[in-house]
Amino acid sequence: MDFKLTEEQEFFRKTIIDTIDKIVVPKSQEIDEKDEFPWETWKEFTSLGYLGLRYPEEIGGMNADKIMSMIFYEEIARGSVGFAQSVIMNILMGTYFIYRFGNDAIKERCLLPAMRGEKIATMCFTEDQSGSDLGATRTTAVKDGDGWRINGTKMWITNGPICNFCTVLATTDPSKGLKGLNFFLVEKGTPGFSSGQIIHKLGCRGTVTGELVFDDVWVPDENFLGDELGKGVYYVGDILDEVRLMTGAMALGIAKGAYKEALEFSKKRIAFGQPIGNYQLIREKIADIDTSMNAARLMINYGAWLLENGMDCRVTAAEAKMYATEVCLKVVDELTRIYGANAFAYEYIPQRYFRDARFLLYGGGTHEVLKDFIGRMIIGKI
Amino acid sequence: MNILVCVKQVADTEARILLTSDKKSIEIENKYNMNFFDEFAVEEAIRTKGKVKDCQISVCTYGSNKATEVLRTAIAMGADKAYLLDNNGYDIEDPIITAKILASFAKTEGFDLIFCGRQAIDDENANIGAMMAEFLNIPHVSAILKFDVVDEKKARVESEIEGGKEIQEVQLPALFTTQKGINEPRVPLITGVMKAMKAQINIIDPATLKDLSKGMIDESASKISVLTYETPSARPTVKIIDGETPEQKVKALIDILKDEAKAL
Repeated sequence: MDFKLTEEQEFFRKTIIDTIDKIVVPKSQEIDEKDEFPWETWKEFTSLGYLGLRYPEEIGGMNADKIMSMIFYEEIARGSVGFAQSVIMNILMGTYFIYRFGNDAIKERCLLPAMRGEKIATMCFTEDQSGSDLGATRTTAVKDGDGWRINGTKMWITNGPICNFCTVLATTDPSKGLKGLNFFLVEKGTPGFSSGQIIHKLGCRGTVTGELVFDDVWVPDENFLGDELGKGVYYVGDILDEVRLMTGAMALGIAKGAYKEALEFSKKRIAFGQPIGNYQLIREKIADIDTSMNAARLMINYGAWLLENGMDCRVTAAEAKMYATEVCLKVVDELTRIYGANAFAYEYIPQRYFRDARFLLYGGGTHEVLKDFIGRMIIGKI
Repeated sequence: MNILVCVKQVADTEARILLTSDKKSIEIENKYNMNFFDEFAVEEAIRTKGKVKDCQISVCTYGSNKATEVLRTAIAMGADKAYLLDNNGYDIEDPIITAKILASFAKTEGFDLIFCGRQAIDDENANIGAMMAEFLNIPHVSAILKFDVVDEKKARVESEIEGGKEIQEVQLPALFTTQKGINEPRVPLITGVMKAMKAQINIIDPATLKDLSKGMIDESASKISVLTYETPSARPTVKIIDGETPEQKVKALIDILKDEAKAL
């Protein structure tokens, strides 16, 4: 058993911390306040090449292992979780199916520019009546000549209103439920494809989230992303563990930023003649934050290690996502208590962490769904 | 052109630093960075490489194995080769020994141009560059704010002086220390990070360098010994002057200055 990061991983960790500190952290408050997509920061950050994090070096990627990926997700979320959402969508969900199933022309047209930050990618699962319940997907794809005709509306799509292309989940046979689900590539400019309402969110501001409308959108056969029809739900399973661990790592990133604020404040805030960090009740909070964050990080790293080694990590990934997010919620809450009334003011940072943390409750599966899944996996069929 | 950049790994400004019980040494939390001023030195070397033909940048540090991190950072930014002058666990506090070692390495390898940061932000000595140049018998200019290669034999530099700036032409080989403002150090590209992760770090025992021996660089050679480290004295607590009106507060303040502080 070896918990030590390799020299490479340690160097990567240090480099990405410095990079985020230089490029993202100084903009984080402005990104939140403006709640507009930060094009300038996007350009500056993506020019460094990090969007190719998990893809092979031969196509301009970094081929990072899963531990390094988690380090990246944590640190970029520490900088700005709104910005992180857009970046990670391009790195992971928005390009995963394009890389796996797209032909050379599609990769040339979509994947490579997305890895360079020149194109913005997204993935569309959620609808107004379906999120975790993929079987309730109502968007349809019907065979039409040498292609597919797609109809439906997707909700809560990160990068949706500004995306250049999207991977859309649609049912090709509603009677088959989950086994009728498949993925298709739809590019900006395709007739019938448009963005609808933009969602104004409590947190994760700066990333543009909204509705995508598919009104009789026709795409050629090459835009079907899969080996054979009806396997979409299995492909979801292939990426889900990584998405859950990533969400947990993002939660840890917010918690890390909040923890730093709490620690600094407890050292400098004087009350009754001494720094509040000298009082036992504040020390208890710091001890609890540190303990729970270390535990969450161990769970995420363990999940990443399982994933890297091709082992089953379904339960671990769900547990790690859930635990890290609950820890994050606790940490941001404690920050607002340690910080006192100023935490309630928009002029100070704690309220941003407090709002941002809420989003992670839903991404990667609600905790109610995850607990049911974990319990079912452990108890098994009775 | 062969350029050498000397860098130092220093404690992160946010690292926890504790005094040992005997106050003769300090314990630093495991958070280290490249010295702030050395980043300018690395960046200037990379920019110079972009302007002259057949240029190679070597970066070196005298320190422990842990210091390879700063060498990798320099490679990620754009340096070509990295050398760790291994201190073999000895944390020598005498800057003249460090300067001797770095100079000896520079002499062994042969460089046209050497950049160092103007000072380390931990010990604030600001003397390694100057001493290195002296040992190498080459010219040096401290705290430069602009650097240009005139030709293979000459460089033109600017540095701040009281009320203005000084522009000098310097024959190469020469050593320059860099000041904040000379450039904006780059953030490494991911390709640089990947190169740095795989880069071979050349480890050298300083005792094997030209004109050096173990006895010249170990603890016995040091003419400086640390007697004690002291933390800054705690600031006195702030006293809030009570009073409902400005007049009352001023009166209370005058009373305190007279009676307690005995300043009036």
